[in-house]
Amino acid sequence: MATTACFIIVSRNDIPIYEAEVGSTAKREDAAQLHQFILHAALDIVQDLAWTTSAMFLKAIDRFNDLVVSVYVTAGHTRFMLLHDSRNDDGIKSFFQEVHELYIKILLNPLYLPGSRITSSHFDTKVRGLARKYL
Amino acid sequence: MDPANTPLGRMLVEEITPVVMVLCTPLVEESCLKNSLSFVEMLSPFCSFNNIDVPVRTASDQPYRLQKFKLRLFYASDIRQPNLEVAKERLKQVITQAGEKDDLCSDPPHFSNLLASSESGIQPSWFEYFNKELVRTMSFSDHESFDHPVACLLVVSSKDEQPINRFVDLFNTNKLPSLLNDGAMDPKILKHYLLVHDNQDSTQEKAAKILTEMRSTFGSNECQLLCINSSPHGLVERPENPWAPYKCDPSPSQCLGCFLNIDDFNKIKDLMQDLSSKHIIPYMEQKIRVLNQQVSATRKGLRNQIKNLWWRKGKEDVADSPDGPMYTFSSIESQIRVLGDYAFMLRDYELALSNYRLISTDYKLDKAWKRYAGVQEMIGLAFFMLDQSRKEAEYCMENAFSTYLKIGPSGQQNATRCGLWWVEMLKTRDQYTDAASVYFRICGEEPLHSAVMLEQASYCYLLSKPPMLRKFGFHLVLSGDRYKKCDQIKHAIRTYRSAVSVFEGITWGHINDHVHFHIGQWYGILGMYDLAVKHMLEVLACSHQSKITQEFFLRDFLQIVQKTGKTFEVLKLQLPKVNISSLKVVFDDHRTYASPAAATVGESLWHSLEEDMIPSLSTAKTNWLDLQSKLIPKKYRESNVCVAGEAVKVDIEFKNPLQIPISISSVSLICELSVRSDEMESALASGANSFLIVGADASSKTAELQNDDDFINLTTNRDMSSENSSFTSSEVDFSLGGGETTVVQLTVTPKVEGILQIVGVRWKLSDSVIGLHNFDSNHMKKKNTKGKRKAKPAPRDNLKFIVIKGLPKLEGFIHSLPEKAYAGDIRHLVLELRNQSEFTVQNLKMKISDPRFLNIGDQENLKTEFPSCLEKKKASEQSGVHGSSNNLSQTVFLFPKDTSIQGKTPLLWPLWLRAAVPGYISLYITVYYEMGDISSIIKYRTLRMHYDLQVLPSLDISFQISPCPSRLQEFLVRMDVVNSTSSESFQVHQLSSVGHQWEISLLQHVDTIFPSQSLMAGQALSCFFMLKSCRKSLTSQDEISTLSPLLGSDVRLGPEGSNEPLFDICSSPLADFHHCERLHLGMSHQGDPNTVDFILITRPVKDNIIPGVSNPPHLFSHHACYCSTSSTSPISWQVDGPHTLYHDFSASFYEINLRMIIYNSADAVASVRINTFDSTNSSGHLSEGTTTVSTDPSGDQAGWRDASVVNDIKVTSDVGGSRAGKSLSVESVPPFIWSGTSSTRIQLEPMSTSEIPLQICVFSPGIYDLSNYVLHWKVVSSNDPGNQEGASRSSGTCQGYPYYLSVLQSS
Repeated sequence: MATTACFIIVSRNDIPIYEAEVGSTAKREDAAQLHQFILHAALDIVQDLAWTTSAMFLKAIDRFNDLVVSVYVTAGHTRFMLLHDSRNDDGIKSFFQEVHELYIKILLNPLYLPGSRITSSHFDTKVRGLARKYL
Repeated sequence: MDPANTPLGRMLVEEITPVVMVLCTPLVEESCLKNSLSFVEMLSPFCSFNNIDVPVRTASDQPYRLQKFKLRLFYASDIRQPNLEVAKERLKQVITQAGEKDDLCSDPPHFSNLLASSESGIQPSWFEYFNKELVRTMSFSDHESFDHPVACLLVVSSKDEQPINRFVDLFNTNKLPSLLNDGAMDPKILKHYLLVHDNQDSTQEKAAKILTEMRSTFGSNECQLLCINSSPHGLVERPENPWAPYKCDPSPSQCLGCFLNIDDFNKIKDLMQDLSSKHIIPYMEQKIRVLNQQVSATRKGLRNQIKNLWWRKGKEDVADSPDGPMYTFSSIESQIRVLGDYAFMLRDYELALSNYRLISTDYKLDKAWKRYAGVQEMIGLAFFMLDQSRKEAEYCMENAFSTYLKIGPSGQQNATRCGLWWVEMLKTRDQYTDAASVYFRICGEEPLHSAVMLEQASYCYLLSKPPMLRKFGFHLVLSGDRYKKCDQIKHAIRTYRSAVSVFEGITWGHINDHVHFHIGQWYGILGMYDLAVKHMLEVLACSHQSKITQEFFLRDFLQIVQKTGKTFEVLKLQLPKVNISSLKVVFDDHRTYASPAAATVGESLWHSLEEDMIPSLSTAKTNWLDLQSKLIPKKYRESNVCVAGEAVKVDIEFKNPLQIPISISSVSLICELSVRSDEMESALASGANSFLIVGADASSKTAELQNDDDFINLTTNRDMSSENSSFTSSEVDFSLGGGETTVVQLTVTPKVEGILQIVGVRWKLSDSVIGLHNFDSNHMKKKNTKGKRKAKPAPRDNLKFIVIKGLPKLEGFIHSLPEKAYAGDIRHLVLELRNQSEFTVQNLKMKISDPRFLNIGDQENLKTEFPSCLEKKKASEQSGVHGSSNNLSQTVFLFPKDTSIQGKTPLLWPLWLRAAVPGYISLYITVYYEMGDISSIIKYRTLRMHYDLQVLPSLDISFQISPCPSRLQEFLVRMDVVNSTSSESFQVHQLSSVGHQWEISLLQHVDTIFPSQSLMAGQALSCFFMLKSCRKSLTSQDEISTLSPLLGSDVRLGPEGSNEPLFDICSSPLADFHHCERLHLGMSHQGDPNTVDFILITRPVKDNIIPGVSNPPHLFSHHACYCSTSSTSPISWQVDGPHTLYHDFSASFYEINLRMIIYNSADAVASVRINTFDSTNSSGHLSEGTTTVSTDPSGDQAGWRDASVVNDIKVTSDVGGSRAGKSLSVESVPPFIWSGTSSTRIQLEPMSTSEIPLQICVFSPGIYDLSNYVLHWKVVSSNDPGNQEGASRSSGTCQGYPYYLSVLQSS
């Protein structure tokens, strides 16, 4: 499992709708904002890269020191962004694909307004479980 | 684009130029310092030539011309690697100076403005200077030769003793830079001798003499004379000072070069031009040619290359030092490098490139990494200047950069320089993103440098196409952090503030909080507290942060606020959150409210309640609106009206978004009251707008409190405002725990007439910051209690009130109204109405929403004791009680005409409460009253009271009535009582049937079936009663029953022999409530004589009443109305006659006379036909008849509502069927015959009885069953052909009842 990993789902309007620190290290107080900064800045790269490929998984697109940003863009242009320090490309890809399925299930909920914050605790536990499994 | 004209090209042309080493005597310096310039400084402006136009021929035969050229002059003592610490100090100073210039207060340019401006305008200008300085710290390295001096300028003053000797002494190896001494470069360099003569000291004669001497000694070409300070007065003015850009710290008092006149100028210029074009360039050309020949001889050609390779392989065991092996100037490697550098300096980039490439492989093989990197760097630059093979140029730069980094900390500086060049190269080609990443790589451990580099990187992101704003912001923040680490707070703030515009409006909470918090904190450090507070305010509502962070933010914020020493007024302070949509205004105009709960009730409900009471709406409107329109401008006609001296209450919800508690104090409303001016009302002449803060009522309430430790500390401070103000005010203090929401009620009480406007709310956070919130935003929804009168008011107008003169106002409340009661509970209550003002109110009316629950009593039973007042009294007393039932006929209760309330004496009025049905019940009471003797635009007012009552289920009662088959007009009543409470026990006291046409009696004494007397929780009880209808005739009794329906008969169900009094169901509250129950069930049953009402009265068992607490006596009444007595057919009959007879059959047969009494309970005329048939001859016929009877009723029952009746009928018809079968089987029954007519037809009036004589003949003794007759009946529906029920059972057939007759032989 990765020592540091921060997973964020960004809606098509660039609003984070789900955030989770899934790393195994104890959470540092200032880490959260650094992670947000890195992921937010990486959106600039995603913006360019997303239209150059038909694949949803964009692999590692940005890095900051030893932290790497991997991104998965859904058809609705919702972006799953993972900040990690491990080099497990296959695991990350599977993680993204499974999270995508979970996300679709969330979307199918008629009470969920697309683009709003995901507050489902079930989703949260599932994502953390997947992180433990794949990262 | 010509590479030489790019920023990098210009930089290279300026920086990579021949170096001239200057050696001069102190006296030369002394002469120059008169102009406050050093010697080198004096010459420097004349060292760069823009149009020198010198032909150059290097290795190739083709000469070319140089246009631009530059020399760099350095003192010999400066030609060494600069001290790192000193260099750092100088760079720091550069940055600090740049920081001082910044204006921290003004807003930084928004990034969109930056994008619009030109490229050069984006970056702060000092970056370029900083970069240049940074590159200069790396000069005079021994691994590259372009910083090595090409020539040496020896300068001696004419004042010096023995000038010739001085010249010789100057080039003494002891003083020369180490480069020349340690063999890194050739000590035999071009020398030029210069004699400086100060014209102020003496004439030129001596100098000319020395010059000739010099020429004879050093050769005529190498010696020159320079005369300076020709201007004697030192007042040479020139339009632009050429020295200014070269002097680092210009001191304004001294004028640079003040003693140099135009001749001196030209002489210096000529000198330098002569030096470069006639000496240095030819020297370099010659050196290039020589070296080139040498290199070609030893290294060019296949044979040399192979030899070189083989030779180098043999040296592989060389120690792997970072600098590689030491190369002396005479080594071929050094010579190639010098050749390359010279060619580069003379712009022969092709030659330079080929030589650099040649040497590069050698260095690589030798593992001389630093030299290798240096050469790679130069290859890249040469490619760039040739503008070819961009890829390779970049590759070389990258290679050089990483190689520098590889060799460790010593290469860091070189890497920085290489990186800067590389960045410039990328920028020239618009590869800004790459440039930014290179800047990012340059960042070393030195935080100050990396801060500058990161800032430059951020600008690269901004310049890239399309602009990468998020990266721009991120790198600015990173840079700011580094600046902060080096205590460059101003720079840090500058970068952060630039970033703010990027992060504006995004919802990434941590980012915004980080940026604003740090800006605020740093402003705080600088002591600019106003700005600090402004930024800190942004982070206060950080609900997404952890609790620790929230605490930290709030503490820092409060500290900064304290340091400012003043209280801030902040519009839209985010702590706590004001929920505008929760805003609720309650005020009294002609509608007044007894309690806050009453104000929350919807206006439509009150409206429907008051409809009958108030003067009709249209007239009321014209009445007082007409008046109002005369008094006030049209503009305010739509405004609300409130009364001076009466509080306007505003409910606002405050929410604490944080997890930590915050304390709020001095919450109050901001109001304006413009006192009505003279043109409207002359009485009040005080001035214009008076501001007043009006405070909160003490009755603020909390909602959704999550923590128990929350408390609201209210301090009422009514007299805060000065005496002459037109308001009273008070304030509320409270503290909100984490995540809590509190509703605060604030009030404003105007004292004088005028126009009151509620502007907003203000509060104080932690005793330091005042928050303001205006209510004028558009999304404000006023949940007002206003009715139809205000259809679509503008939001702001909702908070505008016309204050009118003080009016009397009734206050009312009901004493001892319980919150919880069991169903059926009857209570005696008292309504109290008070009027605080000295004016009287009159013409009172009252209406109650649900008379089933609340009934208005008589004034005389105010004093009576409950429940004894309900007990049955003697017949003579009863008559007076019935009067109260008249109240029910009218829905509005009018108080007696002479009722008026004034001063301190309250009006008390009795009320009866009965908890009719279980559930949550809302009771609404409204009292209408008119003003006594004051004239006002409000003629009347209403007092609205609202109470909530929870009624718990107590006893479930059901009655089942079935007619007695053998008795006419008698019914069997089964009463089922189930105690559905959880704990209460009840004592059944009395059952009464209502209406005097019914008489009820016990079938069986209660003691036998119900010995314990009290009904425990969950227990059920069934009792049987006999009910007898004592109605005699139809017409007369019917009238009586409607007039006085409440005469009835009672059955005491208490223990036998108890003499507890029975309650009079005809007395006021019971009868009234019964009437209401009947009304509630509907009017359709009205007048149906076949229904009966029961009232069951119970009392709670005394044991349950807690001693000590004075419990009011309880009485429960349960009403069951319209219990139907009707059965299948409207016809009932009874065969009357003897049962046992003696007859001597030997004499004759026996004729027995019987009679049948038939009763028609239908409300129409019925025709009945009685068919008798003899059992012997028509047995088959009988069986047929039986089957029809048994099936017929069930077919008729299809549309019936009363299921219990259906069951009863089935039972009876089954009995008839079985009996018929039995009668067939018994063959031995002696026959009898009906005598007389076998079929009789009669007409029966509604509700009447008639008698038919019957006769049978019996021939032998025996027991006879006289059931073999059938009644066919038909109801003629008289006047209403559409009556459904009449049509459905308009006819039918009934089988006869068994009637057993024993006839015995008489002896």
